Amino acid sequence: MSQLSEQQLDQLIAAERAREEEPLNEWRTIAARAREEGLIRGGSGPRWSSGQPWLQAAAAVLLLIGGIAIGRTTIGLPTVNQQNAAAPNAVATNPPTSQASASTQSNPASSTYSFTSVDQATDALDRAVREYQNASQYLAANNISTKTRDSAAFYTARAAALDKIANATESALQTAPHDPVINQYYLATMGARVATRQMVSTAGLRGF
Amino acid sequence: MPFDQLDLKRAIAGDERAMQRLWSQHAPHIDAVVRRLCGDPELAADISQEVWMQIFRALPSYRGDSQFGTWAHRIAVNRTLNALRKIRRIAKLEIEIEDDTAITEMETDRTFMAESIDQAMKKLSPGARAVFVLHDIEGYTHGEIGEELGITSGGSKSQLFKARAKLRTLLAHLVEDSPNVAGKGKGHVAAI
Repeated sequence: MSQLSEQQLDQLIAAERAREEEPLNEWRTIAARAREEGLIRGGSGPRWSSGQPWLQAAAAVLLLIGGIAIGRTTIGLPTVNQQNAAAPNAVATNPPTSQASASTQSNPASSTYSFTSVDQATDALDRAVREYQNASQYLAANNISTKTRDSAAFYTARAAALDKIANATESALQTAPHDPVINQYYLATMGARVATRQMVSTAGLRGF
Repeated sequence: MPFDQLDLKRAIAGDERAMQRLWSQHAPHIDAVVRRLCGDPELAADISQEVWMQIFRALPSYRGDSQFGTWAHRIAVNRTLNALRKIRRIAKLEIEIEDDTAITEMETDRTFMAESIDQAMKKLSPGARAVFVLHDIEGYTHGEIGEELGITSGGSKSQLFKARAKLRTLLAHLVEDSPNVAGKGKGHVAAI
């Protein structure tokens, strides 16, 4: 009876070791099970992690503009609304509306609010962001003294704080790149940081 | 496209595209070990699904201490052996391994001859195939095989010796038919 030598068998084994074949299943089979188990999140695409680069870019630009607006208003630069209205009551008339809506819709202290869907929670988050922006505008227009605005220490402290927040949120995004809350904080912080640096430059401050 | 850390984080977060990239890159190798251990394509396809589910479930526990492929490969081997054990194929083998006289299947029946090592492996008993695949193809030590299969290191060596002897017989026709494994020579018995 003939036999391969050990060496010849080793050659065949080496060839087998290097051989790869098509996967045993199709991806859609694996994906269907993963989706059933909740390992794949979202339907055709996760709400906050679209595979469409242009959609992600558009969302990023939108949030960046919002962040810049917050930054500009909180450091006292005129906003588009303020410029168009040409009157301080343009901002001053907004707060009662905001306060009214805040008291009736989203007072977290008195609320026993519970969400029943991701969409509902997302809508609430969007509303909260808008109210935050309104509140920031109001405070920027009414609650910061001229003396404080001109203080280099004030801007230094703000810039340092924004740097820390930016670093922290950047770090968090490494772990949770699609987290909507962290993304909003990150982009708002970046916007505020840009505006702060612009203000520093305008005011002739140095050392940033 | 290489599977980077960002993709890994996205896959953990449930990003389907990142998971698909991971699967596309590693499935040929992972599925190959499942197929070799099972010896039955349909069973291997079922077990492969389980393997990939387990890999995705365990993703958050991957710390990057080893290559991702190595980590996933371990899961594939463990999961496959567990599945085979459940269907009593390995259990049968474990009894056979303790009986050195059980596998002396040096049949001279050349109708039993396989056309390739892949097919020849299917002719091995489940336990002999597992030991052979793990040691000679996947590079496990006899100690590691012993742990995986619940047998002694000596039992693993014995099983490998018998598996190789049987394969040498089953594949003898390749020496006659193919120049790729020519150079018949006497060869030598590898240390096992």
